Amino acid sequence: MTFATTKRRALLAAASIAGLLAATPALAEVTVLGWPGGPEETALRAAADAYNAKSDVAENDKVELLFFNRDGFWDKLQADLAAGSKAFDLNLLATYSIGRYAPFMEPVELSGEAKSVYGDSVLSTMQYEGKQYGVPTDLSLHFMYFRKDLIEALLKDDAGKAKYAEISEKHLGKKLEPKTPDEWTWDDYAATALYFTQAVNPDSPTRYGTVLQLKNLLFNIMVWQSVPRAYGANWMDDSGKITVNSDAYRKGLEIYKLLYDNGATPKDSLSYEFAEANAAFASGQVAAMLQWNAAASDLTSKEKSPAVADVTETVAPPAGPEGRFTHIHGLGFGLNKNAENKDGAAKFLKWLSSKEAALTYAKNNGAPALTPEVVAEVAESRPDLVKLGEFAGKYGYVMSGATSAKALSVYELQAKEFTGYWSGQQSIDDALANTEKGMADLLK
Amino acid sequence: MTIARPQTNAPEFRLLATPLVLFLLVFLGFPALVNLIYSVSEVTFETLRQPRFTGLANFLSVWSDAAFWQASWFSLRFGLLTAVLECLLGLFLAIFLSPLIERRSWLMAILMLPLMVAPALVGLMYRLVLHEFVGPVPYYLWTYFGASISFLGPGSAFWTLVVVETLQWTPFTLLLFYMAYQAIPSEIAEASAMDGARSLQRLWFIELPMMGPTIAAALLIRFIDGFRVFDNVYVLTGSGPGGSTASLSIYIYEAFFKQGAIGKAVAASVVLFVASFAVLYGLNALASRRKGAKR
Repeated sequence: MTFATTKRRALLAAASIAGLLAATPALAEVTVLGWPGGPEETALRAAADAYNAKSDVAENDKVELLFFNRDGFWDKLQADLAAGSKAFDLNLLATYSIGRYAPFMEPVELSGEAKSVYGDSVLSTMQYEGKQYGVPTDLSLHFMYFRKDLIEALLKDDAGKAKYAEISEKHLGKKLEPKTPDEWTWDDYAATALYFTQAVNPDSPTRYGTVLQLKNLLFNIMVWQSVPRAYGANWMDDSGKITVNSDAYRKGLEIYKLLYDNGATPKDSLSYEFAEANAAFASGQVAAMLQWNAAASDLTSKEKSPAVADVTETVAPPAGPEGRFTHIHGLGFGLNKNAENKDGAAKFLKWLSSKEAALTYAKNNGAPALTPEVVAEVAESRPDLVKLGEFAGKYGYVMSGATSAKALSVYELQAKEFTGYWSGQQSIDDALANTEKGMADLLK
Repeated sequence: MTIARPQTNAPEFRLLATPLVLFLLVFLGFPALVNLIYSVSEVTFETLRQPRFTGLANFLSVWSDAAFWQASWFSLRFGLLTAVLECLLGLFLAIFLSPLIERRSWLMAILMLPLMVAPALVGLMYRLVLHEFVGPVPYYLWTYFGASISFLGPGSAFWTLVVVETLQWTPFTLLLFYMAYQAIPSEIAEASAMDGARSLQRLWFIELPMMGPTIAAALLIRFIDGFRVFDNVYVLTGSGPGGSTASLSIYIYEAFFKQGAIGKAVAASVVLFVASFAVLYGLNALASRRKGAKR
């Protein structure tokens, strides 16, 4: 083989590779940056396959998925968007970070079915300043997990009821009767937690009545804030005035403080988050707890939680004078301002918000919160989605300002100040005053 | 024989030093310059390329932030306590285990194992070990004493963190002190024994002074490491209830990434840099003066 032949072959090979590379984008023109690993990726892959298989989707509007590591995902996304990246047309969004990304994104148009598929409260998890920035694909909210064996036994036990009334009068200032958890107010929850605490009631079958996640962590505030919300709490009023220094917040903080101080939750709860709380409940030494819906599969699995799997039930969080509430936040997809194929991306988003896409996503391990009419179609294969959709629609809320650019910072601030109160390092007045001042600075 | 000092103004010296200087300029100088600019600017992730000059506002904000002083106090206490405890324990083990290690050197490999574990993993491990329902320590306490200590509660979290840090890093000081102890000439020990010195006297008046420089270096290294602690504390308790276990590193990290207060975080790191430089400069000056006095 001569040098000239070799050189010609090398050139031909290079030209072929270059041609192939140039041709590749034409096969998949809408690029989507997804949440890697876990059920979200499985569901998104199924939805993308279904979309690409549709006959009316143009070749250059077909969807290609991109994934990178979950570690530091939001910070990397922030850096990419701030740098004006065109590497993806659509990207993942979360309710609590929409405000951070909104300056680099464009509002989206949903399908005509979106409202009937998801409902208003779920759609609002992807809204910022009145505009829709994404399609909600997966939802997180809270369940009240409880031991039905213990509650049923209490409801049949007259001596237990008398003790329950005595404990509630001593600690809550009023005689209460045991109720089924679906009828609980937050006072009933507190009374039940105290009754099932050995430090309060030595005859309790469990060591603790509840387990609180009190680590100085923003996600723990999301779990807790449904308590003050049931008493009418909000971050700010319609005029933009910060309203955390209120009776509602005070009541929510005091209920947790009462439970912590009386040993109704482990003393180490101030270092507990999701995993620690699940471990405590799974040990069989806790009667009830407020926890993310994501814990349901583990706590009802005989392999993972043999001590409680058969006796664990879930209901929506307890009620307050203003009603029953659960914090909700969602993951979804929105449009990059610097997208190279905006039209194609917008078409995919519109389809993604349709009933067809939502059902495909749900059947493939996703966790969309669907309205009762829609979820009925997948209820047999995904019974967990029935409660998710029902609770989200009936009780879901997003605090005003909780999708703003500084939402994460507000949660951080509340976590620091409120854990300072629960741990006894500062008074409730100082905690609320500091939070009010800090939020006014952050949300001005 | 005399060794000629290198001529630092020679052309070949400059040529050979150029790559190093360029490396330092690019990888240390540029970030330092950007940090200095950000520390006197209002800057967010959206305005990284257009910071707005605000003078000393970020420094004033740091100075008047109670959380900064709380974190500084935590770092100072944590750094000093862990450095002293690690050195005392390391010294004790180095001297009293010395005869054993001399005969069975593989023991040293086992003693060094904690150093091989990443601090974040140590934090994770203790999260499990100390968990009331999963961990073995609370389990046995509950089984035998009917009560479980709140290891990570507000009253004890600091001490738990100190113990965790000390357990992980004592092998480091043990290694240093063992080597220094071994390096003491045996003739000195023999001579002092001939002079009638007892073991404790030999230790106090001869061996410890001879190990002095190593002890000082170990104290300094461990203090610096303890002062800038992040990984295991962050994994175990985060910044703690009310920020009670936030070290300065955690304070800076949270201000930067969690609060998006980039200017404030960078200003705090500049303050930390200046304070560290001042301390190290002072120690260096002290050491030089003592060296001069000995001559």
